[in-house]
Amino acid sequence: MLKKSRVRALLATTVLAASAVAGGISATASTAASHPTLVVYSAQGYDKTVVDAFSKATGIPTKLDDNSTGPLLTQIEASKNNPNWGLLWVDGDTAFAGLDTQHLLMRGFEPNVNWTPLAKSVIPADKSYTPTGLTTMAAVVYNSKVVSAPPTSWQQLLSSKWKGAVGMNDPSQSGPTYPFIAGMMNALGGESQGKAYFSKLKANGLVVNPTNGPTLQALTNGQIKLALVQSSAGVGAALGDKSLKVEYLKPVTLLPGCIGIDAKAPKAVQMEAERFIEFVLSPAGQKAMHAGDPTGDSLYYPVIEGIRPLKGLPPLPSSKTQRINPYKWGPLEASINSWFDSNIK
Amino acid sequence: MSTLSPAADSRGAVQAGPRPGARGVRAVLATLLPATFWTVIILIILLPCLAFLVLAVSPRLFDQGSSYFTLHFLGSVFTGQTAVAIGNSLWVSAVAAVIGVAIGFPAAWLVARTDMPGRQLVAPAMWLVLLVPSWLPSLGWVRLVQLDGVMYRLGLNLPIVTHAILGPFGVVMVLGLRNVPFSYLAISAALAGMGQEFEDAARVHGATRMQSLRIVAPILAPAIWSALAIGFAEAVSDFGVAATLAFQGNFQLGTYQLYSAINNFPPSFPVAASMAWLLVASVGIPLGLQARALRGRSYAVLSGRTRQVVRRTLGRREKLLWSFGLGMFLVVALGVPTFGAVSGSLMGDYGGSFSLTTSNYSAMLSSSALVSPLLRSLQYGLITATVTVGLGYTAARFLTRARTSATKLLDFLLLAAVAIPSVIFAAGYIMAYNLPILSRLGINLYQTVGLLIIAYCASSLPTNTRILVGSVSQLQESLRDAARVHGANPLMAWIRGIAPLLSRPLLYAWLLTFTGVFLELPISQLLYAPSQPPVSIAIQDNLGNYHFGIGTAQSVAAVLLALAIVLVVLGLYRLIVPRGWRRIGAANN
Repeated sequence: MLKKSRVRALLATTVLAASAVAGGISATASTAASHPTLVVYSAQGYDKTVVDAFSKATGIPTKLDDNSTGPLLTQIEASKNNPNWGLLWVDGDTAFAGLDTQHLLMRGFEPNVNWTPLAKSVIPADKSYTPTGLTTMAAVVYNSKVVSAPPTSWQQLLSSKWKGAVGMNDPSQSGPTYPFIAGMMNALGGESQGKAYFSKLKANGLVVNPTNGPTLQALTNGQIKLALVQSSAGVGAALGDKSLKVEYLKPVTLLPGCIGIDAKAPKAVQMEAERFIEFVLSPAGQKAMHAGDPTGDSLYYPVIEGIRPLKGLPPLPSSKTQRINPYKWGPLEASINSWFDSNIK
Repeated sequence: MSTLSPAADSRGAVQAGPRPGARGVRAVLATLLPATFWTVIILIILLPCLAFLVLAVSPRLFDQGSSYFTLHFLGSVFTGQTAVAIGNSLWVSAVAAVIGVAIGFPAAWLVARTDMPGRQLVAPAMWLVLLVPSWLPSLGWVRLVQLDGVMYRLGLNLPIVTHAILGPFGVVMVLGLRNVPFSYLAISAALAGMGQEFEDAARVHGATRMQSLRIVAPILAPAIWSALAIGFAEAVSDFGVAATLAFQGNFQLGTYQLYSAINNFPPSFPVAASMAWLLVASVGIPLGLQARALRGRSYAVLSGRTRQVVRRTLGRREKLLWSFGLGMFLVVALGVPTFGAVSGSLMGDYGGSFSLTTSNYSAMLSSSALVSPLLRSLQYGLITATVTVGLGYTAARFLTRARTSATKLLDFLLLAAVAIPSVIFAAGYIMAYNLPILSRLGINLYQTVGLLIIAYCASSLPTNTRILVGSVSQLQESLRDAARVHGANPLMAWIRGIAPLLSRPLLYAWLLTFTGVFLELPISQLLYAPSQPPVSIAIQDNLGNYHFGIGTAQSVAAVLLALAIVLVVLGLYRLIVPRGWRRIGAANN
């Protein structure tokens, strides 16, 4: 008898507790269901300024999940059978290609704007994501008080002159670093040639730090003489320390800042997301992008004709740049990063 | 005089004989309370953990692969670098746990039982060590000893030190020092419940001071084993040191491999889940040792008659020696992270030079972007700490009752939850509480403040319970029975009989949870409600966007604010709580 009553009590409690949990959150749920809100997942330094400007200009309530690229992609992958996001806005198109391959991005949307030639080169054929700005990977940053003659080619980094003097980021922790590695492999003719290059770089004393910040710190404290980092980070550092200079070696890989729409979002949210992208590429949106993080992510090369970059950015001639195919190199990211972990770090 | 009597005996000492109606209510409550508790544990810990861990063998269940059953991913973690990293994690965590107790035990003893100078500073310092995120000491060490770092600039060319710190030795040291506060708090709480009578008895029978210490130390066994177990689990799940010191020394730890599996794109959740299984299984080691050491014994020594302790007067040489030792600990545990934080926040050029600037603090103060997240994290911390202490006390009560399958399961579950890295825990919450079927039922929990706070509570509960279990295991049931005999209802019996004895451990557990949640990052990153970022997200936003100095300045400000709150709460405790409550476990000065 006692056991039966205990089992009944246990069952009753479980049902009550589950009901309480469900009831407690139903208010939130019903609100969310009746008024779906545009949620922007973003890793851009200027995102809050742009989201606020967009809401103010259009009256569309917009929420922002401001995070690093890694956690944002983890959220998207973990919730892909029931996504909560409307827009994803991060640097690098390899992740977008991966999401597109999984049919997680809405295809076929291209805002009616006047693209620059470099921007046209990074727009995907299926229009599953849209470039909003360009940076490069990797820019070579050096201290002009220490280095009078910086390298002029990637091969020179393998010479004894730069032994133990070159630093770069860890691709497992720094999102923009995999496109750099893939870009080098692309430029040198393939994965094996690229691996051989990085192996030689390691033999020449390559220093690997977690992200842009520590790599630049290693440069300023003299541990290394050349820092291979994202252009916006390098230019931002050079704005604060006039002895730091930024150079682009040929070829430098384009790293487009991209924005894409969730394929599974409600239609109303997708339409709001399209308006958001149009706003970002409008003069008002570009102004907000420039104002949001003037010593960091705002240091990008605009993708719209007539919009000028912020002061301090070195020229970016198209003859020096290359674009990697994100649909080819994206799926190789995990295996190449794993190889880098095992052989280069 | 209190005795080491079996708990069951003391529980049956007094028969109060309640009325028939009251007996029925008590019977229902006696059933409902465990049922409710277990329901909560299942919903907030077991379900999310299993939702993620099952991916190791069945990735198709949550759309993370094509197989409904495979052993491929589990097999992969026993090979290559992953296996090496897991092996490293195991031995490093074991040594770190021992270091934590080796320093925490004498520190707790000296503060509680002797007149060591400066003992009043030890407790706040321990809280400060707890408050500091683990990457900050690592950062400080890297800046000190790296090539061309501060050490070399001061003319100390010691590459052997660089290699030692940026490698296994440094990793073990930093993780071990981080474990000291856990040991200190657990053992301090247990010491507070152990009166002078045991040491007196030993001394009366001719024991020397060292012999009397050896006699009473076993009474503290539950607290010591708790400290070892929690130290092991905390170290095995740490990522801050794995990604900084260990990374710099090319010394791979399991958590780093696990984060790599998740951070690569596309993330490999099945591989991460397989590694998490190994980490979970690893906590079986300290738990097994703990069970073997404590089997069949009772540690109920805390009663209303516990005698107040008389502080031992240390000799001059002893004072000097112990003060120096503790001072060194504080310098290493706090001085280095302070250097790391201050150098990062007071230097404009990525902390590379010695030129100081306050520009990062000016930039921080001129922006309102940190104020709202700070206030938000304060609220989250207050709510989480209050709820978690209630749950933690209940869990500690279960754990200290006679060992049954249920208590063994709870014990393992709580410690396994500590060993699971927070990012796994948070991803499990997404899997479990963002199911399409829930949305179809109108239940949308993912990215709500409610689910974030539940996850905070769940992740804090295991440590909270470990801190409390040492003290709760010392409680004699006769205390409450005595209050009931004198006519008190169950609530009043608890307030009059138990609360005075547990007020201090409960306060510590509350503070520990509050400080842990205040700067929590991995769970916040995956679960926070959009547009309502907690302070850790605001700080990470700057650290991740090249504004390293401002981010570090924000970290310093947040740590100082949290410390101020700890001091205010401790002050309020002194002011509000009856003097008699505070006297229990305290020593005569």
